[in-house]
Amino acid sequence: MIIPRLARRNLFRCPRRVILSMVAIVVGIGVFILGEGLVSGVTENLKVSSIESMNSHVLIRPPDYPEGIQHPVDELLEIDEEVRRVLDEETVAWTERIIFSPTAAAGPDHVRARAIGYDPVRDPEVFSRALWQVTAEKPDAEQNEVLLTTGVADLLNLSVGDTLILRVRTHLGAMNALRVSVSGIVETGFHNIDSMGILMSLSLAQRLIDADNPTHIGTRLESRDDSEPFAARISELLGDRAEVQTWQEDVQDLMGIQNIRRRALQIISAILLALAGVGMANTILMSAYERVREVGTLRSMGMTKQGVTGLFVFEGLIIGIVGSILGALWGGGLAAHWAVNPIDFGDLIDVWGEDLAFSALVYTRFSMGTVLFGVGFGIVVSMLASIFPARVAASMPPAEAVRAE
Amino acid sequence: MAVCELKHVTKSYGTGPARVDAVKDISLSIDSGEFTVFKGPSGSGKTTLLNMVGCLDTPTEGDVIVKDRSVKDLSSRALSRLRASTIGFVFQSFNLMPVLTALENVELALQLAGLKEDTREPAAKLLSEVGLEGFERRRPNQLSGGQQQRVAIARALVKHPALIIADEPTANLDTTNGAQVLDIMQALNETHGITFLFSSHDPRMIERGRRIVSLTDGVVSSDERRDSSGGAG
Ligand SMILES: Nc1ncnc2c1ncn2[C@@H]1O[C@H](COP(=O)(O)OP(=O)(O)OP(=O)(O)O)[C@@H](O)[C@H]1O
Ligand SMILES: [Mg+2]
Repeated sequence: MIIPRLARRNLFRCPRRVILSMVAIVVGIGVFILGEGLVSGVTENLKVSSIESMNSHVLIRPPDYPEGIQHPVDELLEIDEEVRRVLDEETVAWTERIIFSPTAAAGPDHVRARAIGYDPVRDPEVFSRALWQVTAEKPDAEQNEVLLTTGVADLLNLSVGDTLILRVRTHLGAMNALRVSVSGIVETGFHNIDSMGILMSLSLAQRLIDADNPTHIGTRLESRDDSEPFAARISELLGDRAEVQTWQEDVQDLMGIQNIRRRALQIISAILLALAGVGMANTILMSAYERVREVGTLRSMGMTKQGVTGLFVFEGLIIGIVGSILGALWGGGLAAHWAVNPIDFGDLIDVWGEDLAFSALVYTRFSMGTVLFGVGFGIVVSMLASIFPARVAASMPPAEAVRAE
Repeated sequence: MAVCELKHVTKSYGTGPARVDAVKDISLSIDSGEFTVFKGPSGSGKTTLLNMVGCLDTPTEGDVIVKDRSVKDLSSRALSRLRASTIGFVFQSFNLMPVLTALENVELALQLAGLKEDTREPAAKLLSEVGLEGFERRRPNQLSGGQQQRVAIARALVKHPALIIADEPTANLDTTNGAQVLDIMQALNETHGITFLFSSHDPRMIERGRRIVSLTDGVVSSDERRDSSGGAG
């Protein structure tokens, strides 16, 4: 067929103009796909960070436990046999933690830290160690050893083998102090722990706060989507003896912000694409006015108005399809690349506050659905953008058109 | 048999005091096989008239009958179809599609006339008939004016139209090329009986018409037929 060939070759008559309107589409589609990948990646990061750092799938802690970086030990968890049985039966793993806020002092420096006493055997079954980077042996409770996170180690200028003093208020309110030594430096990959965390075994924590009961119980379920029914069941059992929090509840506020980000991105993409559409309409309109006589000639040869409209829309569609595909390759390519090789936001993250459960390594999420949607959207926009100029071309009176110089 | 008939055709441009009657109350019948030339000074209405005969334009008053159909009654789509099947155009400035080769330009006319396949062979055949064998793959900008106009003739002819309309087909050509184009038109008329309707300013071209219609200020001032020898009458 000659007519598609005609449309295709017409595009090469003014390649620069065509490329410019194509670039606009590439940028619009690319930004949309990449942005969606980033926002989804950050969303997933926030969820995973909540689950893997502090909250686990369902977190049990004393009633009216404060938000944020305070970790009182006045109230401890009382877990009876019944609850224990349900935990054993309905979770893949569960573990006890004592979280408290010691003051860590080394020489003249001191810092208020977040200490986590964990069960060396059971804790890794609940809280993934996949991102952990540890520079030494596990801490030995008998030897009063602790792991310092990079944040605390940097602040106190400590390295493996050094000692520091932990000052702690015990469960009953007495002051306790203990000299401990640094068995290793750890980077858990989660900002809320790495910024101010001191990790130690549960038994050392028990000695420090002078109590046996934990402050927190973390759980791992078959699937993170099971958290709500399980939380409801546990909550019913525990009544007002404890507070139960799913990871969804933990990230709820952040998800609200993420939704705003996603909406903002969609608006920006829509604006970019609208601009691309206007540029495209302009390109087609210019080429229509440059080709008045050709349009008249086609009409004289029997091409209908619809035929002329179709010819110009087809030209617009070629720009749209090629532009959208290039945009998808660019945006989707970067999204796919960063889905495997994460972007390191380590430098930025400190500004965001100490308690943000977030991993500095952000993986984008590559979604074929988003890519296809982006391409489809770009094609629709370019089609809509070329309809108006195409109709202008089609409505040129043929007798005038063939006269045109 | 009349290919085309004009009945009291008037074409006006503009309204009120700015109104121009480009063609005034012309009645005319074109028979099959005619080789008719329209002559007249610039602005006398030749192009306007030819456009109406070719169904590119519709009269303000009166009617044009092409192949027994009144254009008044036809929709824009039906007029397009009529042009596609029955009328071939040749223009003063050739009006070939610059991005298509000579062959593709001719094929395009066939495809617009509704032929889907096998357009290549008849197109190539016609190009060689107008003396352009070997030029099939050239684009218009790689052809001389005379060659372009011959492609245009092939393009008009390829769908076997009832009528070919040529508005000043030689005006952009030198004498030799103009004469050559006229030769081809005349030969096609004589051997295939194709009806030609053309206009010209050039006396040497005009004298080759077998029917000469003179227009003055939008009216027919003379309409003479001459014998087939084409000699001066
Ligand atoms: N679109 C238009 N609007 C107004 N007037 C027009 C228009 N087209 C043609 N005319 C007028 O109609 C008259 C006839 O024009 P037309 O082009 O038919 O003359 P012509 O005989 O073909 O002239 P030429 O030999 O210069 O080609 C002229 O007075 C012209 O100015
Ligand atoms: Mg004219």
